[in-house]
Amino acid sequence: MVDIGFLLLTFFMLTTQFKPEDAVEVQLPESHSVFKLPDADVITISIGKDGKTFLGFDSQIMRANIFGEQNRLRAGMEVQPDIDHLGQMLIRARTMNPKLRTVIKSDKDTEYDVVERVMSLLQKVNITRFNLVTNQAK
Amino acid sequence: MADVDLSQSRGKQKHSKKKKRRIGVKNDMTPMVDVAFLLLTFFMLTTTMAKPQTMEINLPPGDANVEVAESNLLTLRVVPSDKDTISIYYNIGVDKPVKIEGSRAKSIHALGKLLQENNKANPKLITLLKMDKKAKYVDMVNIIDEFNLADVTRFSLAPMADVDKKILEKL
Repeated sequence: MVDIGFLLLTFFMLTTQFKPEDAVEVQLPESHSVFKLPDADVITISIGKDGKTFLGFDSQIMRANIFGEQNRLRAGMEVQPDIDHLGQMLIRARTMNPKLRTVIKSDKDTEYDVVERVMSLLQKVNITRFNLVTNQAK
Repeated sequence: MADVDLSQSRGKQKHSKKKKRRIGVKNDMTPMVDVAFLLLTFFMLTTTMAKPQTMEINLPPGDANVEVAESNLLTLRVVPSDKDTISIYYNIGVDKPVKIEGSRAKSIHALGKLLQENNKANPKLITLLKMDKKAKYVDMVNIIDEFNLADVTRFSLAPMADVDKKILEKL
């Protein structure tokens, strides 16, 4: 039994990936889509239930570059969904790393108004391909 | 934790003065196993197996103007009518919008069927989705999901303008 215990322990230790911390708690909608969320090079725009918008990166280097060195460990920063603030940050991030993919992670009860503003902003800064994060529908 | 059993070696003490004394060592493994299981439970509980899915959306660039024949344009206008119900108005070209109403699940299911039929009839069809600002994000995801299921790859999102609201009011 102890052997099996250790076997499982090594298995979990090697396969585990810690859940990335979220800037805001969101309840994701469900879809039948089969695309998986990429592991690295992701810009996450999180929109909470109350419409507050957060920008986050998966790598600490990008966070330090965009948000400043003191915010290196913060999962996300609150941003205003307008062209001068969020738009400029997105442009800067993408010039630093053109491989970045943009994903929108929004709560299912968020008003469409906010999501629409974010999407039209993405269109304006020429991010015409982006992903919406969802859970797998049963 | 680890005890040394000296009872066996007592009788041979005379002969083994130069030889290295062989003694039985018993190791109590319980604490180590305890720690191992603690770690095991920790990793089992913190690991996330399922990665979230994503839905891909391609929007035309902001300055692009695509000319579409009116007869090839299916317009969907989505208005939340109540807490759990939404109304979907659909029309092809400049036809009068037709209303689908019902609970969220029901009306979206009906929409899926409709999309499939219309796309079979006209493969060139382009779908334009106009959502009211007060609608929920989940409605948009459900409708786009329905597009994907019905193989509608050519769709676009547009804001609901005042003109659209007037059209809907006239009904």
